[in-house]
Amino acid sequence: MNGKRMTRIFAVLVAGCVILCLFAGCGGGETGAGKVYYLNFKPEQKAAWEQLAKTYTDQTGVPVTVVTAASGTYEDTLSAEIVKDNPPTLFQVNGPVGLSHWKEYCYDLKDTDLYRELTSKEFALTDGDKVLGIAYVLETYGIIYNKKLLDRYFAADWSTVKRLEDINGFSALSKVAAEIQAHREALGVKGAFTSAGMTDSSDWRFKNHLANLPIYYEYEKRGIDTAEKIDGTYLDNYRQIWDLYLNNATCAPTEIGAKTGDDAVSEFRKGEAVFYQNGTWSHGEIVGDKVSDEDLGMLPLYIGAEGEENQGLCTGSENYWCVNAEARDEDIQETLKFLKWVVTSETGTRALAEEMGFSVPFKAAKKSDNPLTKAAEDMVAAGKKPVGWNFTTIPSEDWKDGVGAALLSYAQTGLTDEGWEKVKTAFVNGWATEYAKNH
Amino acid sequence: MYRSLKKWFPLFLLPTALAFLVSFVVPFLYGIFFSFCEFQTLDRFTFVGLDNFKRVLFSGQYNFWQSLGFTALFTVLSVIIINVAAFLIAYALTRNVPGRNLYRTVFFMPNLIGGIVLGYVWRTVINYGVLIPLLGKDLTYSSTFGFIGLLFVLCWQQIGYMMIIYIAGLQSVPDSILEAAKIDGASGWQTMRRVTIPMVMPSITICLFLSITNSFKLYDQNLALTGGLPAVTDEQGITHRLTQMLALCISDTYGNSARAHGTAQAMAVVFFLLVAVISLTQLMLTRRKEVQQ
Amino acid sequence: MNRVKRMPADQPAVRRSDILLSVIFAVLCSVYALPLVTILYNSFKDKEGIISRFFSLPNAENFVGFRNFQVGIEQIGIFKAAFYSLVITVLSVALILICTSMCAWYINRVESKFCRFFYYLCVFSMVVPFQMVMFTLSLVANKLGLTSPYTIPVVYLGFGAGLAVFMFSGFVKAIPVEVEEAATIDGCNPPQMFFQVVLPMMKPTYISVAILQTMWVWNDYLLPYLVLDKTKGFVTIPIAIQTAVKDSYGTVDTGVNMALLVLAILPVIAFYALCQKQIVKGVVAGAVKG
Repeated sequence: MNGKRMTRIFAVLVAGCVILCLFAGCGGGETGAGKVYYLNFKPEQKAAWEQLAKTYTDQTGVPVTVVTAASGTYEDTLSAEIVKDNPPTLFQVNGPVGLSHWKEYCYDLKDTDLYRELTSKEFALTDGDKVLGIAYVLETYGIIYNKKLLDRYFAADWSTVKRLEDINGFSALSKVAAEIQAHREALGVKGAFTSAGMTDSSDWRFKNHLANLPIYYEYEKRGIDTAEKIDGTYLDNYRQIWDLYLNNATCAPTEIGAKTGDDAVSEFRKGEAVFYQNGTWSHGEIVGDKVSDEDLGMLPLYIGAEGEENQGLCTGSENYWCVNAEARDEDIQETLKFLKWVVTSETGTRALAEEMGFSVPFKAAKKSDNPLTKAAEDMVAAGKKPVGWNFTTIPSEDWKDGVGAALLSYAQTGLTDEGWEKVKTAFVNGWATEYAKNH
Repeated sequence: MYRSLKKWFPLFLLPTALAFLVSFVVPFLYGIFFSFCEFQTLDRFTFVGLDNFKRVLFSGQYNFWQSLGFTALFTVLSVIIINVAAFLIAYALTRNVPGRNLYRTVFFMPNLIGGIVLGYVWRTVINYGVLIPLLGKDLTYSSTFGFIGLLFVLCWQQIGYMMIIYIAGLQSVPDSILEAAKIDGASGWQTMRRVTIPMVMPSITICLFLSITNSFKLYDQNLALTGGLPAVTDEQGITHRLTQMLALCISDTYGNSARAHGTAQAMAVVFFLLVAVISLTQLMLTRRKEVQQ
Repeated sequence: MNRVKRMPADQPAVRRSDILLSVIFAVLCSVYALPLVTILYNSFKDKEGIISRFFSLPNAENFVGFRNFQVGIEQIGIFKAAFYSLVITVLSVALILICTSMCAWYINRVESKFCRFFYYLCVFSMVVPFQMVMFTLSLVANKLGLTSPYTIPVVYLGFGAGLAVFMFSGFVKAIPVEVEEAATIDGCNPPQMFFQVVLPMMKPTYISVAILQTMWVWNDYLLPYLVLDKTKGFVTIPIAIQTAVKDSYGTVDTGVNMALLVLAILPVIAFYALCQKQIVKGVVAGAVKG
């Protein structure tokens, strides 16, 4: 009977299909020579890393996989990936807070070439005498300015500040901003600052990077580098600069809730604003028809704290490579070789400097042709003291969101004292609560 | 013959049972176990007893109660709106309205589009089409905007689905009964209350069940539309995400800090118990009503 | 649905109030479709055009042709995502249909304690929210290798089993046992019986289950996001959309996003247009059984 045979074939097919599906994955994996799996943090450099990995695989035959976690999900992704078969062999932490979560997974890098390649040991994250993380990029942020527009301001008869060197503190900066704002039509701009967008593509510039300044000055004053509780001594300064951004921008303060990072970028690129708070990583986006490399410079983020004439740009790293100690030995060795190749070889160093625009703390590093990185180096050469990246000690994402929301609501409700009280609460009380919750 | 069937279980039962075991039963039991542990990754955990549950329910440090309140209010409102609107539309579209098939088609369409995509469609329309041009603010400006936005999205998506079920229910009411009611002199409203609604009670049961669980478990739309924002930090320094529903609260708690993974898992267990209790009670209540009729 | 009763011949003439209703519905439906329509024509504008004049049609100044689609396809790889989405959906739904219908027939005919237990376990799984298992599932799936588009259907089989077994059981219970007994006398063994006698009778239920499961699997975001192997670059449409919209510090190109949304919606609408009747029937049947 034909149907009978059909039935039997069909039955075997179904059973086979399921069994195949169930066991398809079990047989694979865990074989052969070592390989590298990099869980990358930076979406901007996704393509560059993938390209670099491919070149390395072509040259050496060692497979290198690059996975980029979606923004805001790095730690979740890492938590899930690291317990899997074939876990990431190379991941990153954002600094001491991140390291405290992940140190059990970190391979001691003390005896590796990568560590020896570092220009200064202070770029390593240590735990006792172990070296667990190595900074692979130094980034700098501040107030990026458009030189062409600023020169036009200096030349105008209504300007009071006439030289770049004279913008050496908050009072001068605010004077310049206010005058540009008042004469924005004469200067052909829409505002002194780009819009301070508070949607999630842009709000980290303020709830995170700008918030670094009051944290930095407080740490300096108290002589500490991390804190369970924060006093908020410099929150009035934080308000000053936030007010300056809001009152002298391309849009009204009430509109920032709808502005994106892309809005600010396009305003700056079109020459509609003179100042834009961001960092070296944004170089690729802001250069365009109206703005070329030569037009770019960066000013320190002055907030009116004492001694700020000597303040430099905010330079630091929230990107430390860690090698997964629980990966297979072969994989660890291949990962270390890959890293050495990245920081020493011609291809690797060129990709870091040119493709990714990184300023890296390794001996063989190529000079980055990023004009913003150059501005940062000039600033150090001129004897200004760089501001550290203390925002990496912020206790949690919730803290940032709380502060961000308070900043936004302050802007949208008319910049009142009551509104600022909420920022203070989020900043000070939120810090204590989140610290206690997460330690 | 069913005795001879029994030994065929490797073919009939085993594939489903195995898949069910590995992708549901094991992760489920595993999940319950981890709710009693503190863990950052699943291979390093310490047993902490009921600590996680205490933290979720009593510490006030997590957004659990806030999001439970938001979710409950949202569920009540959306269930009412969806079911009333779907029933009315269904009622109208079972009449001899010209073009009714086209209308049914249009109302049903949003159902087929996934929550993430729908969420972004509406976020774009509400932000760029309405809020920004009119008020210069976006959806995350206030929790009221977010709440209304979510209501819009969910109602827009679900009304068509429930409408289809109500139409089927209404069409199964025999014309003879309706005519008998007419002959007995019942008014339109009386017929509706005494005849139509009792007859479509099975449809109402299922629509209530579906809309309650859909609203209560909402995640994709919530993530895409507001992501739980705005956030507010209170005097105690606790940050509340005002439009965060329970499902999103669980994954955000997980993501906020590597220290809170056990707490998030415990929250998921509480969430599961809530969903189970609500759906079972609702089913029992309405089923009983059906029987009585 | 009782189609016989509603034959046009039986229907009363169109009343004036119905025409009024029709007009109201015409307006209502236009409003209902508006969001999708605006997204469609906005996908042909540049960013400025979308932001500054959302509701107006593209004009010479802001019309960019298919540029948004081009960028979206190149950068985001939406076709690859669509391919994986299709593979996952087709395989999962096929696997669910075959396995759970056999399972439902078996547990309803063999009334052992285990079968009853399994049935209630399936019903129980329907009320368990995904969040309950999301953190642990990705690990279990990884250990068993269920992380590619070709193996993830097993996970979907496990998760879809609840509803599918429930719906098939509802149907199996209604099949008169006499038919099957007659077949036994003719000498059918159980697999023959199932495929030659039972399966053809269950065709409507197959369609209902297929429709509901397709809608679920195609649109599912969290499960594939957590389970699929990231190192192999497996993505589905919802994952691609979510990453494209969220995944960039500061560079959200609204125009490209519109194009991506359109690309995600179009296949669904096409599918709907093709099998609209079956979809509606499936939803109704599924609801009544549930």
